Amino acid sequence: MADILKVEGLSFRYPDSPKNAVSDFELSIPEGEIVVLAGPSGCGKSTLLRTVNGLIPHMYGGEYSGDVLVAGSSVKRSSMRDLAQTVGFLFQNPENQIFMFSVERDVAFGLENLGVPREEMRARVDEALRLLRIGDLAQRAPHELSDGQKQRVALAGVLAMRPKLVILDEPTSLLDPKTASELVALVARLRKELGTTFVVVEHRLDLLVGVADRLVVMDGGRKVLEGTPRDVLFRDEAEAHGVAVPAVTKVQKLLAGRDAGRAAAGRLLTPSGLASAVEGRQA
Amino acid sequence: MMWLSGGFIFRRGDSFYHRLDPRAKLLNSVLMFVTTLLARSIFEMVLVIVFMVGLSAAATVLKRVARTMAFTALFSGFIFVVNVLFTRDLETSVLYAIRFIAIVVSTSIFFITTSPDELEQVMKMFRLPRDVVFAFVTAVRFIPVMMLDTIQIMDAQKSRGLELEKGNLIRRVRNMIPILIPLVVNSVVRSGELAEAMEARAYGAVPRPTSLLVYRARRADVGVVCAAVVLFAIAAYSFYFVVPVRFP
Repeated sequence: MADILKVEGLSFRYPDSPKNAVSDFELSIPEGEIVVLAGPSGCGKSTLLRTVNGLIPHMYGGEYSGDVLVAGSSVKRSSMRDLAQTVGFLFQNPENQIFMFSVERDVAFGLENLGVPREEMRARVDEALRLLRIGDLAQRAPHELSDGQKQRVALAGVLAMRPKLVILDEPTSLLDPKTASELVALVARLRKELGTTFVVVEHRLDLLVGVADRLVVMDGGRKVLEGTPRDVLFRDEAEAHGVAVPAVTKVQKLLAGRDAGRAAAGRLLTPSGLASAVEGRQA
Repeated sequence: MMWLSGGFIFRRGDSFYHRLDPRAKLLNSVLMFVTTLLARSIFEMVLVIVFMVGLSAAATVLKRVARTMAFTALFSGFIFVVNVLFTRDLETSVLYAIRFIAIVVSTSIFFITTSPDELEQVMKMFRLPRDVVFAFVTAVRFIPVMMLDTIQIMDAQKSRGLELEKGNLIRRVRNMIPILIPLVVNSVVRSGELAEAMEARAYGAVPRPTSLLVYRARRADVGVVCAAVVLFAIAAYSFYFVVPVRFP
């Protein structure tokens, strides 16, 4: 399948900063994948994301070399208007991306800006509300919503623009565990129903390993590890780069050290995987 | 303070008046405003106020309009005293004092029955630039957020030993600085994030953005506008051309 996102030798340095925020970065993401981007705070994840939807270089100045291609066209040469329709960006704090007084108006915000005719806008807003199952909130004001609901509203506003690629910047950081796992289930469902590609920056990897196709680890502005979550998390470097290795994986690594036979059960990432492995051994 | 300022903040309601077209509500408030300026006697002014109170009751906002009146009464007391001192004319002074209340009430009725969404529509109708309308929209949108911010900052500073309720007036004003600085810094950070989110949602992509909602005048709106104009004409005529009616 064609690559929806291709980062080619990208380096970027903010003005007044002594070192690159992102260095010699290479990445190809085929359409329809869920990719998790992990790494310690300040490792350049947010900067990388901003080069994908064009905030860098269109809104921020700085030293930019290499190229980022979204659906085959260069971000540098695309307008914010075109990029906004291909790349959806869910920022960390949902509060600061809800502009209007009612949920449905806010979901329509991007479409209004693009000059989408009213009938089509109505249909797309209703579709987005339905996808996120927040139709009952349509008339609510932002301050009447919980954090989880705000997150859904913000995501609905992004999806109404029908982006091929959606970026989620630490989407669960303000959510309680239950709402967070609901959000992850939602991402998996949207990928299945719409074929949307997701790039997710996330620290709570145990939430996402079950649905992610790929895990990319960044440190110091560079890509240090890349592969399926299973491959990356069982590498010893993963923890050294500050990746939160799921407890199940840690348990298995510990057991593997003591009894080589147990490791043969396969590399485990999730509690359900562990449960069935244990059951299998008992049977 | 919060209790009193409630007289100008919209809260969702469901009366015939709330449902009117925002343009009809605006016209109505403007006409009431002008009528208060035309009234020449206390009796006429009281008539205008009685009308506005009746309208508020019909719009189920009487309690909040009463708050507005209580709030403005403080100022109108001041206006009365100043007028008595300068004009030595009791009737005129009372008239001015009541007129002030009436003016505030006429605008208050508009603001407490018109949602921010509708206000935005009215601003668009006056062909204000999109940026101006949007600035207004975000300002109103973030009022509750900033209020929450303020409370959190106050709690945080109090837990660090800041004593807000102590000292004389100057001291108290100075005590607000540790509240204001984080609040301003927060808002600046927030505005940066908002700008990014606006770009990501294609703000300014086309010169004439479309709108999800559309306001069309219905029969009820036309009816109310006609009634308002007729009433205004009668009031204006009698206040202006007929000898002023006074309390006996």
